[in-house]
Amino acid sequence: MSLLADEHPLIIFVGAGGVGKTTLAAALGVASARAGRDTLVMTFDPSLRLKDALGVGQEAKEHAVRVDLEAVGELHASLLDARRTFDRLIERYAPDAEARRRVLGNRFYQHLSGSLGGILEYMAVERLFEVAAAGRYRQVVLDTPPTRQALDFLEAPARIVGFLDSGALRVALRPWFDEQGRLKATARLGGLGRRAERFLDEVVGLDLLRDMAEFFQAFSPLFAGFRERANQVEELLRSPQTLFVLVAGPGEERIPDTLFFARRLQQAGYHLGPIVVNRVHPEPEEPLRLGPPGSPGSPQSPPGSAPVPGLVDGIQLLTWLGERDRQGLVQLAQLLSDDQPLVDLPLRAEEPTDLPSLADLGADLEDRLADWRQHLRREG
Amino acid sequence: MDLAARLGRLQLLVVTGKGGVGKTAAAAGLGRLLAAAGRRVLVLEVDPRENVHQMLGVAPSGGAIVGAGTRLWVQNLKPGRVLDDIVRERLKVEMLARRVLASPIYEQFSAGAPGLKELAILGHALRLLRRVGPPDAPQLDLVVLDAPATGHGVRLLAAPRLVSEVIGTGPFGALAGELAGFVADPERCGIVVVTQAEEMPVEEALELREALASQLGRQPELLIVNGLFPPLPAGLERPEIFDPVDPLLPPEPPPPSPEMPLATGLLTFWRHRRFLNERELERLARWWEGPRIELPLLALERGPALTEALRQLLAAGLVAERG
Repeated sequence: MSLLADEHPLIIFVGAGGVGKTTLAAALGVASARAGRDTLVMTFDPSLRLKDALGVGQEAKEHAVRVDLEAVGELHASLLDARRTFDRLIERYAPDAEARRRVLGNRFYQHLSGSLGGILEYMAVERLFEVAAAGRYRQVVLDTPPTRQALDFLEAPARIVGFLDSGALRVALRPWFDEQGRLKATARLGGLGRRAERFLDEVVGLDLLRDMAEFFQAFSPLFAGFRERANQVEELLRSPQTLFVLVAGPGEERIPDTLFFARRLQQAGYHLGPIVVNRVHPEPEEPLRLGPPGSPGSPQSPPGSAPVPGLVDGIQLLTWLGERDRQGLVQLAQLLSDDQPLVDLPLRAEEPTDLPSLADLGADLEDRLADWRQHLRREG
Repeated sequence: MDLAARLGRLQLLVVTGKGGVGKTAAAAGLGRLLAAAGRRVLVLEVDPRENVHQMLGVAPSGGAIVGAGTRLWVQNLKPGRVLDDIVRERLKVEMLARRVLASPIYEQFSAGAPGLKELAILGHALRLLRRVGPPDAPQLDLVVLDAPATGHGVRLLAAPRLVSEVIGTGPFGALAGELAGFVADPERCGIVVVTQAEEMPVEEALELREALASQLGRQPELLIVNGLFPPLPAGLERPEIFDPVDPLLPPEPPPPSPEMPLATGLLTFWRHRRFLNERELERLARWWEGPRIELPLLALERGPALTEALRQLLAAGLVAERG
């Protein structure tokens, strides 16, 4: 198994927040460029050091930036900014300057907090689709947003379609307000309508509804194209050529999360590649095993000195962490089917934050996967 | 004033920070600490996985308020349910309420209206403190909120003002206005930021501090730096000590591959991680004004024993911060 040799033009890294998805995505991007492919890494929220390493700044929110890497293939990087993408989409699709001004200046749009039918999450997928459609790169590596519910991101296209079909939009697009901006008589709904109207005014105030209605009306010309695009994006995500890499934290307590992610991905029909258990604490080593204090060669007693205070506690902590992580790995392996690729990557002494160390990490990931394949052959 | 006493006088303590830094553990430890100090405390969690329950040794309770020890309760909150409750309370007629709750416009409104979910979370805490919520709820002095991760945490605290700007009138507007005042008042609402001494979490903590100042005019009451590798014992900070000393042996070969970061073993690893911690602690010392407690990485699984250890460490840390 190799992520690169198997020709998946799109590789998507998913997993909970804080497990190192972004760094791994960048590392695989570097490895891919070194393997001779023109590669794009799309990421959400890289650390300052990682941005420095890739040499990208704010401009990468507008367009992909060439990374200064000496490799056979070119490496480009872009930063995903849902809001900017949405703004651009409006600028592109708005029929005229007045319509554009109306949407961009709408209070509801300005405060849109990312939950409305998953529109903001959808924007990132939309950007991915643009890149894939342009066909400029042989390899695209996508990092996903750092949310606890990371799969929300993938469901965004389906949610948009659901939203468009739900009738909510028709309700929202109804001419609710007359030209004076007052709620139109809802007489045909009878008593219920009048009560609902009173309720709405009392509970939410009509100002907000007015803003919402205006937003949806100003935005309605865009919705037509949305459905088709959303379906195409969905197709792209489910294509057998698109491979998902699930990144997980080490330790037993993370196992339920990891299994949950893996099952949901597979049940939803996405193609799950390897599960990578990242940042595994080092295995306790022979020379650092705790001997009786003061025994020759034991670490807490360098030759000719008394036992060092704090050393035993520190070594015990590190040993505990190493063993906890290894137990977690063993248990996870038992719970997964035999043909599910599972590899672990060590917690490094230093976080990889420059191109050479990213290249190392990418190569390490590829090596681990090759080992896994060999192991499987031996077993089989 | 004594920081422990100051935290104890608050009515709402919002615990936030980047995902994976130990926010929930810190919230549980603070809850235990303040309950032990005599306050009636609810630890409120919004994450659907009910991790606070595990930290306090209580079985998942599916949204109910349950006791977790003397003067301590825990609840896992579903924000959507709070909104539905408010609608039911206002409309009284069950049939009408059901029709409103089932209507697509309400569904989209409650899911999409900016800040409404966040408002529901804070509003729920306020209602419990004032005993206007469910009649069987315990009398409380303080709610410790295990808040969503950084960006969402700011959004949570900024929501009342946002909503009160967008919705001026009605019960939601009034609630928003009241909550905006509550959140802005350092006598009633406190903010605890949890981080780890690694680059990304520290970066987020500093950004969060800035966002709180600019958007809310607030400063966090406390920064908790969690999961520190212990300092190297004196004399072992330098690598030579553990290099092979037998002159008859050839020098150790370099590590076989980059996956062996332990060039000279576990100790080198420890040294590097500690160095990383210290670098970030220095950055915090330079840029973070205000009380700070450092907590060591503990060899304990998630659960009540870890919470108890954190309670003791937090108590000691708060005493050290006095003055």
